[in-house]
Amino acid sequence: MTDDTLMIAGSWAAAMFRSSTPLMMVTLGETLTQRVGIVNLGIEGEMLCGACVGFAVAAQTGHPALGLAAGAVAGLALSLVHGGLCLGCKANQIGSGIAVWTLGLGLTSYFGRSAVGAKVTGLAPLAGPRFADVPIAGPMLVQLTPVAPLSVIILLLAGFWLYRTRTGLNWRIVGESVATGRALGIQTLMVQAQGILLGGLLSGFAGAILSVDYTQTWADEMTKGRGFVAVGLVIVARWNPFLVLPVVLLFGLSEAATLRLQATGLTLSPYLIACLPYVICLLCVIIISIREGRIGGMPAELASVFGRKR
Amino acid sequence: MKRRRSTAFIAAFGGGAAFMVAALIFLLVIGRPPLATLGQMVLSAFGDFYSLSESLVKATPILLCALATILPARLGLISVGGEGQLYFGALTGTAVVIADPQAPFFLLLPAMLAAGALGGAFWSGAAGWLRARCNVNETISTLLMNYIAVLLVNYAVYGAWKDPASLGWPASIAFPPAATVPSLFGTRVHLGLPVGMIAAVVLHVGVTHTRWGIALKVLSGNRKVGAMAGFSFLRQTLLVMALGGALAGFAGICETSAIQGRLQAGVSVGYGLTGFLVAWLSGQHFLRAIPIAVLIGGLIAAGDALQLTSKIPSASATVLQGLLFVSALAATGLAGQRIARHDR
Repeated sequence: MTDDTLMIAGSWAAAMFRSSTPLMMVTLGETLTQRVGIVNLGIEGEMLCGACVGFAVAAQTGHPALGLAAGAVAGLALSLVHGGLCLGCKANQIGSGIAVWTLGLGLTSYFGRSAVGAKVTGLAPLAGPRFADVPIAGPMLVQLTPVAPLSVIILLLAGFWLYRTRTGLNWRIVGESVATGRALGIQTLMVQAQGILLGGLLSGFAGAILSVDYTQTWADEMTKGRGFVAVGLVIVARWNPFLVLPVVLLFGLSEAATLRLQATGLTLSPYLIACLPYVICLLCVIIISIREGRIGGMPAELASVFGRKR
Repeated sequence: MKRRRSTAFIAAFGGGAAFMVAALIFLLVIGRPPLATLGQMVLSAFGDFYSLSESLVKATPILLCALATILPARLGLISVGGEGQLYFGALTGTAVVIADPQAPFFLLLPAMLAAGALGGAFWSGAAGWLRARCNVNETISTLLMNYIAVLLVNYAVYGAWKDPASLGWPASIAFPPAATVPSLFGTRVHLGLPVGMIAAVVLHVGVTHTRWGIALKVLSGNRKVGAMAGFSFLRQTLLVMALGGALAGFAGICETSAIQGRLQAGVSVGYGLTGFLVAWLSGQHFLRAIPIAVLIGGLIAAGDALQLTSKIPSASATVLQGLLFVSALAATGLAGQRIARHDR
């Protein structure tokens, strides 16, 4: 009995973890970008680009790892546009983000047609089926691919780097005040460019995880606003990479729990269930925004973009 | 002032040139003769009476969604919710038709249009209320609500509203003639176009020549000063968001009734996003949005036509929109830097 419960819990956790990994990476990417005082709504397009290119490369070469790398590079390439517009031309960041999204949407839908229906082999799971009977860890080992632990390591590294190193401190200074950063001799433009590019790299990686590792298909507009959900979750995680992990997992858990309602006899339309991520994300942002004044944590440079209370 | 005007001119010209170069490169990359294809696009957008009318059909929801972006922008709000408001307006407008398809023309049509506009106003007003009362960023809330509205329409047409006579095709019952928005000149151009144009003129006069316009200007500059002058940020936020949403919702029910004749899953092909693009290209200016909406409508209509005749996928129109947006932002951004340099 207890063994069964443990197995179910483990299998649940594994499924939740697996579906949350792309969101974790894109939320981390946006967190780092916003830490240098830049908002990038284009991560939705960058994620799409990563998903499309990653899937095409994985299908062509037969190497999923190569696909993941190519997806990350594709996201980085598209984020160059956002960097050029925001930093080079001093264009409005929100407008630029939407432009990058449109571009990513159009390019992937144009060039992605050839990838529709192709097959990829995902990464091998962490352990073979003979480990399936190990309590809790068993289902995790069998169901999860190396991408999940890798993502957690990336996230922890990013957190330590941001809070415990000199360059991380420089990033945080630029996010709080570009003028102060400049006075301290930091090359603020360089730091902001790096922030945008790193965000693009992680978004592309997230998209590739989605198409190559998780769904193993490519479909038009397959990210379905996950990038925008990530922008909301960044606010919930208070721009802290360490908090991204619990926030994304809680988000996945609340989604999974609501899905379980169906098992109790409540039949819901799949279209209503598909609303859940957006509704939950919106509710989280509302709750956090009401308490805004008391918790803080927003990089001060963002205030001019988000147009907070003046 | 003179320098500002010349700078705006340079920005428009430079942006246009940059877009042309980018578009030519894109067409070269996809292996199309660039100049010939562009010429073909202009012809299939504005070449004859029929093409022109089809471009105007596309321009109608784009213009209305652009107005739904420009009005909040006048208060300093960035709403990206045109798409969701359009879908929600289509949903609420259709609800009236489904409730009583047999109602007489003079009741059903106005009730349907009003319900569509109210639906859009509610969807957008909710984001405005969250912004003003709970400090929820309106860009994020409108983006997320877009996806919810689209899914709600899907829920309706795949579920309770599915017409049994449509043989499994997810769509509502066909709208009766009494619920069909009248079309003009024997084409598919419908009532939405003149309404959008009149709304643009009225809103332009409203923000440039009335006390209300001053309230928006003061509040967008500084909320505290606005409050001291007796202007309420909450009331104005609700007003601009709801009015804008009403226009987008009206676009949604017009599109459903006049163009598609029934509620289907795909009410719009990204008109909300395109409207956002038009609003930015116009510099958040109501009157300038009209010709730009017609031009972009032509681009989309040409994309559809070329898909049929030359087998160029219509996704290329989305790519061109993205390139246009990037060029315009780059040009206006650089021009803004020029002004800033001279003002210093």
